[in-house]
Amino acid sequence: MKPAPFEYLRATSVSEALEFLQHDDAKIIAGGQSLVPMMNFRLAQPERLVDINAIAELTEISEDGADIVIGSLVRHAEAMRSPLLARRLPVIAEAMRHVAHLAIRNRGTVGGSLVHADPSAEWPLLVALLNGEIIVEGPEERRYLAAEEFFIAPLVTDIGEDEILTAVRFPEPPSGAGMAFDEVARRAGDFAMAASGALVQVEGGVIRDLRVALGGVGDGPVRASALEEELTGKPVDAVSVADIAELACEGLEPMTDLHASAEYRLHLVPVLVGRVLETALARAAGGRA
Amino acid sequence: MNDLPRKPLGPDADALASARPKYVGKAVQRLEDPRLLTGAGRYTADIRADRMVHAAFLRSEQAHARIKSIDCEAARGLPGVTGVYTAADFAGIPVIKAPSRMRDYRATSCTVLASEKVRYVGEPVAVVIARDRYIAEDALALIEVDWEPLDVAADPESAAYDGAPLLHDELGTNILFERVFETGEPDDAMAQAPHRVSGRFRMHRKSPLAIEPRSYVAEPDRANDGLTLYGSTQIPGILRDILSGLLDLPGSRIRVVAPDVGGGFGGKGSLYPEEIAVCALARRLGRTVKWVSDRSEDLASTSQGFDEIIEAELGFDDDGALIALKGRVTGDIGAYSIYPWTAALEPVQVVSFLPGPYRIPHYRGEVKGVATPKPPTGPYRGVGRPASVFVTERLIDMAAAHLGIDPAGMRRKNLVAEDEFPYRIGSGIVWDRSGFAECLDEACSRIGYEGLRKLQREARAAGRWYGIGIATYAELTGIGSRISVAPGMPINTGTETASIRVDSTGAVTATFAVASHGQSLETTLAQIVAEELGVRPEDVRIVQGDSGATSHGTGTYASRSAVLGGGAAIVTSRVLRDKIKRVASHLLEAAVEDIETGNGRVFVAGTDKSVTFAEVAHAVYSDMRALPAEARENLEASESYDPVTGTTTTATHIATVRIDPETLAVSIDRYLVAEDCGRMINPLVVDGQVHGGVAQGVGAALLEELSYDETGQLLTGSLADYTVPTAAEVPPIEVFHLETELPGNPGGFRGMGEGGTIGAPAAIANAISDALSPLGVGVTELPVTPERLFRLVSEARNKTDTEK
Repeated sequence: MKPAPFEYLRATSVSEALEFLQHDDAKIIAGGQSLVPMMNFRLAQPERLVDINAIAELTEISEDGADIVIGSLVRHAEAMRSPLLARRLPVIAEAMRHVAHLAIRNRGTVGGSLVHADPSAEWPLLVALLNGEIIVEGPEERRYLAAEEFFIAPLVTDIGEDEILTAVRFPEPPSGAGMAFDEVARRAGDFAMAASGALVQVEGGVIRDLRVALGGVGDGPVRASALEEELTGKPVDAVSVADIAELACEGLEPMTDLHASAEYRLHLVPVLVGRVLETALARAAGGRA
Repeated sequence: MNDLPRKPLGPDADALASARPKYVGKAVQRLEDPRLLTGAGRYTADIRADRMVHAAFLRSEQAHARIKSIDCEAARGLPGVTGVYTAADFAGIPVIKAPSRMRDYRATSCTVLASEKVRYVGEPVAVVIARDRYIAEDALALIEVDWEPLDVAADPESAAYDGAPLLHDELGTNILFERVFETGEPDDAMAQAPHRVSGRFRMHRKSPLAIEPRSYVAEPDRANDGLTLYGSTQIPGILRDILSGLLDLPGSRIRVVAPDVGGGFGGKGSLYPEEIAVCALARRLGRTVKWVSDRSEDLASTSQGFDEIIEAELGFDDDGALIALKGRVTGDIGAYSIYPWTAALEPVQVVSFLPGPYRIPHYRGEVKGVATPKPPTGPYRGVGRPASVFVTERLIDMAAAHLGIDPAGMRRKNLVAEDEFPYRIGSGIVWDRSGFAECLDEACSRIGYEGLRKLQREARAAGRWYGIGIATYAELTGIGSRISVAPGMPINTGTETASIRVDSTGAVTATFAVASHGQSLETTLAQIVAEELGVRPEDVRIVQGDSGATSHGTGTYASRSAVLGGGAAIVTSRVLRDKIKRVASHLLEAAVEDIETGNGRVFVAGTDKSVTFAEVAHAVYSDMRALPAEARENLEASESYDPVTGTTTTATHIATVRIDPETLAVSIDRYLVAEDCGRMINPLVVDGQVHGGVAQGVGAALLEELSYDETGQLLTGSLADYTVPTAAEVPPIEVFHLETELPGNPGGFRGMGEGGTIGAPAAIANAISDALSPLGVGVTELPVTPERLFRLVSEARNKTDTEK
């Protein structure tokens, strides 16, 4: 379990990192929580590692007008503890508690989780839920990608070999929106067998905006659009969550692996969706008590 | 010394007690902890030597295949590589067989590296020696093996059929042994029993998974044509003996040392090809060779455990009295019969212990061990009994449910009673008096069993799933020579020897052949020696885990070290104490009978006349004027102890679980153990062993499973997929100790290191089954993963829907 030989370069700016990436077989290393095990298993054998940990500009969580921008080098633990995120997007901290264990949360980064694109991971789901925009810097241009553009397949994204994910930008959520996240994993900290996040805005007793995102049940993060359409515009009092949660399964084709079959994952989806919807509704201004 | 004033210390017992303190039974803090907790421990991986080279093994990616050719040229050419070796390079080493006099047993032949064919994924095929491990692994990637895949029968039932692909052609079958244990008339009694319950139970394969993976450093002694093997092993003595033969070196020139070892759980209790390989290469190269297993190799090549299919039936009368038990066990033993324990170890224990602590007049246990293309199974904490207790305790609960009797009452009715000991169960195991019913009663009363049943009724009324599971078991520990010969192995595990000496400075060193790998033996043996000799525990240096320090001894496994090692410590200390007293009687001019020892002093009871151990030693070894020559006895003793039979340890575990009816997540709510391990040497250590054992049992019950697919490929090759319990999955554990009647060994000790793992799978399986009982389903397969629970519950719900 030792990696194959590689060349190591440490970049101190995005432009320098982009320069170092001009190579046939280079890979960025940030927190190393996915890449290093893959290198030790020799499943990944990059010839060159470009270390971006010294690029200060990627470590910020900041407000840009009404938007929230999270730099790609922000660690899961920092996102979990951030007062700004706690105030503006509390669902992020709620989800971070499910990310692996303390040591991994201290090292692992937002950008690393997004480019690794494990379908069960929390960050891809959050980007889908919160209509986030993934910012990718390349030698020629800067690109802004929504979740459905960025995530292509399990462990496959739209990022080029010569590009860096620099940040993810979240627009201001609808005012008074309630949010919630939950997942089911085998052990505390394991990848989710199924995960769900919900965001709901209620005005005058009517659901104005509703988003439900799912993880662990598809090629990447999935939005439960049939459910969203069904509920948007409905009076809250007319909604029985238990009755409609099944709609979240529409179109899903989860995978079967060692830990959970597709059938079990499909069984978990309405359960989780029901729970996060109830919680989000309870948290929404003007929602249920 | 002789002119000390005579002053009475006072007639009360307190004074004598403080002059002669007791340490056995006290919560003495672990003497090894300061070293281990400050990073001063020395594990095998910490050992370095001048010009040391590193080994890496190429392992089979095939479960069953012929090796047509191996091309090592490119690997040999890599800069930094010392050599690349295949089976032919070890041709001088005899084939390894685990012999046994057991009838109808077939030993397998195993070579250091696979020659001609491989029999499991992970079997070593070639070894690279290089300047560092990185280069060694780079070289592995350059070795090309041309395989001819052979047919695979990966599951033991298909491998047992005539015509199944043979792993060992020369044996003509994959069945390595078959045995039957029978008492009474099991067929007739079962047929006539008013009630019967039965099931097909499955316990899946597990890894012992010590936190320190297997590690070996072989250091040649070129000056003496000798060799020292440092290794993470539980059995340095057994290794020294077998390696002496394999390497053709007298025992005086080969030494096996287990330095600090980070857990074993049985996985470091057998002979491994890597141990032989590093020794042979160190001798061939004249350089120290190091190999440290990585976690993937550990999962793929360390001996595995608990892999059985058990069909069992229990017959009983209207009152719940047990009449007959029948069990048929098919053990999936993997590719080789492991040295020295043989393939029979685990599956035979299942049928040996299936009747458990119960009065069952009629019994038949049939067992066969089948070779499959998987790593060899070997000892794993609990050996056989986690499976047998799982099956028997499930059957007891099923029987209780069948009759509508409370499970605790069902057990109480059938447990061997106080006046029935010694009791011989249907397999021939004899239980000496141990607190069977007492532990059950203690557990029920401590946990508030009646209250829990009330809680359960309320939970059910509210639609919540809540279950209570009991497991009562007995195990035979501290096994002496009469029992240890039964499996017919050519080694003796039934005795232990202690050598204790007081050196010329008065310091005490006690040497044992046990090999602590987390059991706290440096503390508990020191407590025993200290109390018997009359010094403080911290004054006793325990030497163990070094074959060079003892003539014979096997190591630490099978819950034997407290009973055998502790027994040897007592008998040897007493011989030495008598010598010290005789010497002191000269120095103190008092009768030997009046002399006592304590706190490092030797004194005349009831007086303040005393000498220190250092003064006694000085008189014996250094001051040639102090004693008449005939009174100069060397202050050392060496005695062996043989418990002859075994001693019974028992416990009742009670688990309560909550199951989320929607997600089917299981959480263990309470976990309580009431156990009788005789006289405790150190309650801190006993609690720690129970906690660790239960944690491993939680793994067996809910999480841990080595999955192999139908082609013999390992699917759980890393700790992302082989899921062990973490702190979050292990509940707080309440432990209560009982001492009903002390066994007849010198210390009154019973072995208890494995019990936690034996009771927990059954207790948790019963608790889950109890929670699910309104659905009419129960657990028959462990671990109960979320997926298995989902299948079980879906099946029940579909059945209910169909019936509607």
